[in-house]
Amino acid sequence: MIEQAWLIPLFPVISFLIILLFGNRMKEGGGYVAVAFVGLSMLVSLLTIRDVFSVGRYESEGISWLGSEAFRFGILIDPLSAVMLFVVSFVGFLIVVYSLGYMHGDPGVQRYYAEISLFIASMLALVIANNLVFLFISWELVGLCSYLLIGFWYRKPSAASAAKKAFLVTRVGDIMLLAGILVLYANFGTLNLSELFELAPGAPLATLTLASLLLFGGAVGKSAQFPLHVWLPDAMEGPTTVSALIHAATMVKAGVYLVARAYPLFTPDSLLVVAWIGGITALIAATLAVVMTDLKRVIAYSTVSHLGFMTLALGVGGYAAGIFHLLNHSFFKALLFLSAGAVIHAVHSQDIRDMGGLWKRMPITGTAFFIGAWSLSGLPPWSGFWSKDDILAAVYGYSTPLFIVAAFAALLSAVYISRLFFIVFTGKESEAVRHAHEAPRVMTVPLMILSLGALFSGFVRFAGFEEFVLGTLPAELAEHFAAHEGGHGFVMTLSIALAALGIALTGITYYKPVLSAEKIRTTFKPLHTLLIDRYYLDHIYLFFATKVIKDTSTIIDAIDSYFIDGLVNGIGKATAKAGEVMRRIQTGIAQDYASWLLLGASLLLIIARLRGGAA
Amino acid sequence: MSVTVFHYVFLATVLFSIGAYGLLSSRNAVRMLMSIELMLNAANINLVAFSSYLGNLAGQAFAAFTIAIAAAEAGVGMAILLALYRNFRTVNLREIKELRW
Repeated sequence: MIEQAWLIPLFPVISFLIILLFGNRMKEGGGYVAVAFVGLSMLVSLLTIRDVFSVGRYESEGISWLGSEAFRFGILIDPLSAVMLFVVSFVGFLIVVYSLGYMHGDPGVQRYYAEISLFIASMLALVIANNLVFLFISWELVGLCSYLLIGFWYRKPSAASAAKKAFLVTRVGDIMLLAGILVLYANFGTLNLSELFELAPGAPLATLTLASLLLFGGAVGKSAQFPLHVWLPDAMEGPTTVSALIHAATMVKAGVYLVARAYPLFTPDSLLVVAWIGGITALIAATLAVVMTDLKRVIAYSTVSHLGFMTLALGVGGYAAGIFHLLNHSFFKALLFLSAGAVIHAVHSQDIRDMGGLWKRMPITGTAFFIGAWSLSGLPPWSGFWSKDDILAAVYGYSTPLFIVAAFAALLSAVYISRLFFIVFTGKESEAVRHAHEAPRVMTVPLMILSLGALFSGFVRFAGFEEFVLGTLPAELAEHFAAHEGGHGFVMTLSIALAALGIALTGITYYKPVLSAEKIRTTFKPLHTLLIDRYYLDHIYLFFATKVIKDTSTIIDAIDSYFIDGLVNGIGKATAKAGEVMRRIQTGIAQDYASWLLLGASLLLIIARLRGGAA
Repeated sequence: MSVTVFHYVFLATVLFSIGAYGLLSSRNAVRMLMSIELMLNAANINLVAFSSYLGNLAGQAFAAFTIAIAAAEAGVGMAILLALYRNFRTVNLREIKELRW
């Protein structure tokens, strides 16, 4: 099936068109069409992945666009694409199925299913692209769809502005990605990934560092890394299924994927930057997740933090560890989001202060959330533990300060996710919870499947996942990075201890209140305020956007309307005035014209004479 | 003193200048036509003079053409003047200035 892999993104595109045109006449706005086509594309993905095990790598000839060899778009399937294909199509499929229940009765379902089909299609195209321009086109389509879906309830002002924010902030990264592509093209004359990887080892380090950092800039925007992470928590304004899709399967994984995809282009210098950005993101987002009171926001910051972990892993050379975490994170984060969606669906609120004691009311959702939380917290033996452990081991061998940052972020991971679980599912039942009841079957079945994934995806580590993923890289690079990997007794013990400590701390605060949350808050008041205000980053950006940019624009506008326009209008007015004067020459008297004619002819003669013409 | 080509050119220049003066200073359009005739003939004299001086007959042929065309021009010019006179009751071109700004 590997030669037919181009069908994978095609199916959701077809479903997008069908739903767009005829969805209004279908049941559920064409939701079943979306399920069928995304399912088909998942099937082809799985068959393709099976072929990857035997073939290893496949690149198609491609079609040339605009008659240019630089724009020869084909597909590239290798182990990395295979992992991504699996994540996107499988998790995407489950989310679309879940949507049948979650979006039931929404007046905009047709739009929803059309957009979500296109979203999945562009993400699938992104992960199989063999050309950077092809990748960039899909990348932008992903951005567009995320804009449309985050702003799905566009009548709600907060949703509309969140969509705008997501679009504008990721745009900053997109521009850098485009610049990176241009730098690569200017230096190598090709945008085909395999050709670039062949040329890269011979290129000057400075060029590669510049290009790879620019590519990473794109990833920073898309994968919500510090300092461009601010859009992701706001993106929670869309339907929860969309949040799950953005967080677990598609959009934010695109950035990490890009770094992994372009890995042979990264130099040690740029990898150092990648590692530090990843570490900072992991820590900052984790601290924020601890204080948030909006259910989805906590999970959103958790996503940012874990994306930071992935970036960090790639930065320190833990290639397989990063991809491994990406895979595991897709499962447990999709699970957490979808169960959070079920909770929101039932309680009609996103504020965790309204919740409590939901376990009895929603046992299936509660179990699913519990599994997701366990996996995320990093306690053995479920998936989150294995990948986090691999990452910490890779960081440990790379740099001690970064290791401390990562370990602290890991501790906080356990803290915020157990806090969420204790507040929402245990304790006293609140008023809102009393009317809650379990979600319908179409929503709980995807939860169960995802639970299985969140529990067991970690064990692919023992089935040769690392070698499989490292098959993506050129042989000598793969060997180099394989050396970093492998379990580390001290790190593993520390990681378990940290997770247990985190959960214990939260437990004695929220489950059996030995410590009072209120008291902690007042003791660390300045810190709490700083976190609640999200390090004032949003304020800084807002100040920048409203004051600095607006003032500059006002000045430039003044220059434009007074100087530039003045110049243009001045030329016009001067011409009109000149005409006013000059038309007096037209006396209408034939003899005047004759005089001018004679004068002119005489002048010509005189000039000819002076220039030494015939005597 | 024999007659050289210089004399012919001098004569032509004088004729041309008289014609130009007449064209620019006359009130009456008929006199202007006559002045144009003078200028044309000044040119003819030049053509013929140089033709004979250089031993090239092309100049004389051109002079013959000019005479024919000048006759046609005079005819058309007079016809236009008649039409003008019928419309404006004058042939003073300073009073006919409908085509100004």
